[in-house]
Amino acid sequence: MAQALARLAHAPADEVSFRLDGRRMTGRHGDTVAAALYGAGRRRLGHSLKHHAPRGLSGSFPAGHLATVEGIPHCRLDRMALVEGLDVRTEGAWPTPGLDLLALARLAPRRWLWAGFEHPRAIPNGAPLWLLWERMLARLAGGADAAPRARAGGVVAGRRIAADLVVIGGGPAGCAAAAAASGRVVLVTRGVPASPPGSHVEVLAGHEACALYRGGRLAAAAPHDPRASAVLIDAARVVLATGRISVPPLVPGAALPGVLDAATALALAGRHGVPPGRSVAVIGTRDRDKVAERLAGLGVAVVAVCDAHDVTAVLGRHEVEGLLANGRRILCDAVVHAGPWRVDPALAFQAAAGGELRLSRGELPGHLTVVGDAALPPEPIAMPAQLDGAAYVCPCMDVTLAEIRHHLKRGVTHVEELKRLTGCGMGACQGVPCWDLLAAVVARATGASPEAVGSPSYRAPRGALTFGQAAGLAASTESEP
Amino acid sequence: MSAPERSEVVIVGGGIQGLLLAFNLADRGCRHVTVLDAGYWQGGASGRNGTLVRGGFSSPEWTAFFEHSVQQWLGLSRRLGENVMYTPRGYLIIAESERTEAVIETAAATHRTFGVRSRRVPAAELPALLPAADHARIRAVIDLADGGTAPHHAVMKAARAAAEAKGVTVRYQTPVTALERQGRRIVSAEAGGRRHDADLFVIASGAHSSDVARLAGVDLDAEPFRIEAMASEPVRPLITQAIALIDRLTYLHQTARGEIVGGAELPGETAKRNIVSTEYVMPRYARHLVEMFPQVASLRIRRQWSGMLHPAPDGGPLVGPHPDLDNLWVTAGWTYGIAGAPGAADLLSRAIVTGTIDPRMAAFAVDRFRRGRPVPEASAVIDNASAVTRPEKLG
Repeated sequence: MAQALARLAHAPADEVSFRLDGRRMTGRHGDTVAAALYGAGRRRLGHSLKHHAPRGLSGSFPAGHLATVEGIPHCRLDRMALVEGLDVRTEGAWPTPGLDLLALARLAPRRWLWAGFEHPRAIPNGAPLWLLWERMLARLAGGADAAPRARAGGVVAGRRIAADLVVIGGGPAGCAAAAAASGRVVLVTRGVPASPPGSHVEVLAGHEACALYRGGRLAAAAPHDPRASAVLIDAARVVLATGRISVPPLVPGAALPGVLDAATALALAGRHGVPPGRSVAVIGTRDRDKVAERLAGLGVAVVAVCDAHDVTAVLGRHEVEGLLANGRRILCDAVVHAGPWRVDPALAFQAAAGGELRLSRGELPGHLTVVGDAALPPEPIAMPAQLDGAAYVCPCMDVTLAEIRHHLKRGVTHVEELKRLTGCGMGACQGVPCWDLLAAVVARATGASPEAVGSPSYRAPRGALTFGQAAGLAASTESEP
Repeated sequence: MSAPERSEVVIVGGGIQGLLLAFNLADRGCRHVTVLDAGYWQGGASGRNGTLVRGGFSSPEWTAFFEHSVQQWLGLSRRLGENVMYTPRGYLIIAESERTEAVIETAAATHRTFGVRSRRVPAAELPALLPAADHARIRAVIDLADGGTAPHHAVMKAARAAAEAKGVTVRYQTPVTALERQGRRIVSAEAGGRRHDADLFVIASGAHSSDVARLAGVDLDAEPFRIEAMASEPVRPLITQAIALIDRLTYLHQTARGEIVGGAELPGETAKRNIVSTEYVMPRYARHLVEMFPQVASLRIRRQWSGMLHPAPDGGPLVGPHPDLDNLWVTAGWTYGIAGAPGAADLLSRAIVTGTIDPRMAAFAVDRFRRGRPVPEASAVIDNASAVTRPEKLG
């Protein structure tokens, strides 16, 4: 049984109880479900698709923060507020979370589970065995049952808003852009705005901007609350203030439970008083010292700070046990990465993309402006000079560097083909951040620049909208002119 | 420019049509077949479709052609030497109104005539067959036993490997920029900075087929038409069969990865030529899905995408020799391309090699509109003359 982490001094004191797989757990008032579980020592929550490798809250890879809540599968625990009595169930274990025989998949040679394993020659299609095999695959890949009818809800009536300006992102840059604008302004933010943007601004807090269509129309929804209305916003101008995300280094172990991005670690420690670990290593680029200082200031035991580009492995079997950097072994039970910083490219891509043979990044349309950190150039991916094939390029779908290399050696260098051959980026993240890692690998192998290598098409709505919410938008969308 | 390359046959387009045709031609003894494709592998409709396969329609012509293709599908893994993941899990055509119930009646009679394995599903069996559906909405169901799904990634991999193993040259990102003519013959295709000379040329270019035909100075009676699809997050098996909701112009299935994949058509839509996704189709498809399968309401949509069909005025394919040239063949006009590809490749390769055109293929001749002989498909209500195809044509 996992040991609970001692909360930091400033953590809220009121306890909230809930159930995990039927067992009573406690969190604190104001926790997200993910923070409560992390604080309770449950860092392993989900599994990767094929290797059944443990995944946890990371800020980067969704396989570690999805679970069935109140009968609804694949809920985002990092966005969901903890309430008394909540029923949370882990997914993807068989036959029970306590006795999970699927963990045996970790013993299989990785190569056996490269994409394509699902259609082996040995099981001819059409045969009854094939139908059974396919059903078993679907059962395993599904991870959880769909919600029962009584829980699923139905069509949730949507909203439509017309605005002069929509700002996406509630950080300082987004709030400043909204505050400075006149007319009708809408601010969409995943959390709450960093500062009050003014009375002329309608704030959609807790909403994810899930699709930006050409012409400037934006769809937003609250992915953790399937009963909340989806919103379509028609705006004359769009400001992207989505900030930047830290991308973990391309090394073995980077997807282990206990590896967190800086934003997630700071939220855990600051808002919830949950330390990322008992001894924490901070890696990153320029900001690493600042992040280490902030964590230390919150009472977190930071044992090492080093450059993300010097890291060659995160050590550990089921969770983080250490770090290898510059040939030096650092003992720690959590790794926080603060850079390289990159921009989530999805919305800008969707707004600008066009084409017939391939959607490709076009010039940003005139109604779209990028401000704040999102406008800064991306920092190069941290990857050691000697790449290790065991590193995951796509940790949710279990695509290793070795598998990508296998195809590169055969002359496949097109990212869209690599995506189709391996399933890289086809999980809940829909390519963010793993297509950045993919591009870096292809660039290293071909000598082209990562920008020239490009990425597959970033698809909306990336799991931020349910069918019930989407159906409620039918009345708000006329047929395309 | 590099030295010209000489082939017996040049196929323009490396999608499912081009690759399976190339394999069949090589299998029938063509020595040197070259496939040239402007895009990347699986980049066109062959990597974007709903993956549904069925043989049973309501018209004799459609049923004869597509049922032949389904029979080819059933043996395709063996022929290509790789598992193409064709899953004959059953294809349900669901009617919710008097009008579509009548369509199903007609289809059932056609299926009996052509020996298609299909049956009307009694209402009492629905809870066991389709437990997730709202049974009160369903008036009639026809179950095509050999119909099902074939995920494109498996068949595209198998078709490419099998064609290359037979000596076919396959080149992607090699757009054909010119087709050189001498009288009623094409002599050369210009692509990738070199001439590709051949005795015979085939257009298998998906939605871009009419553009390629224009390079040779001839026309095809079909134009690109964008449709949209989307995939949910995965869940454990909820819907077993391939489904067409013909009143709602909606089609879907659940993949071996657990995702529910499908799309819907908007009635009266005009042709659009691009592959961007919009905000128009998703809400409507979602509404159809939630009404028929209420449990999906809380499932999240992972991604939406679009691709292009190439519908002819009657929605049927254009398969056979081009009437205006002596050495140009066509497999285009596809709305049901994944279902029809193995059948088209079989019949077309036979026609090219032996000169004999099978009657099942002759019904879909390229010049049928000129001759005033469209092939109407009653189970596919055509919305207007500009070839808006209904979803029963998209499975």
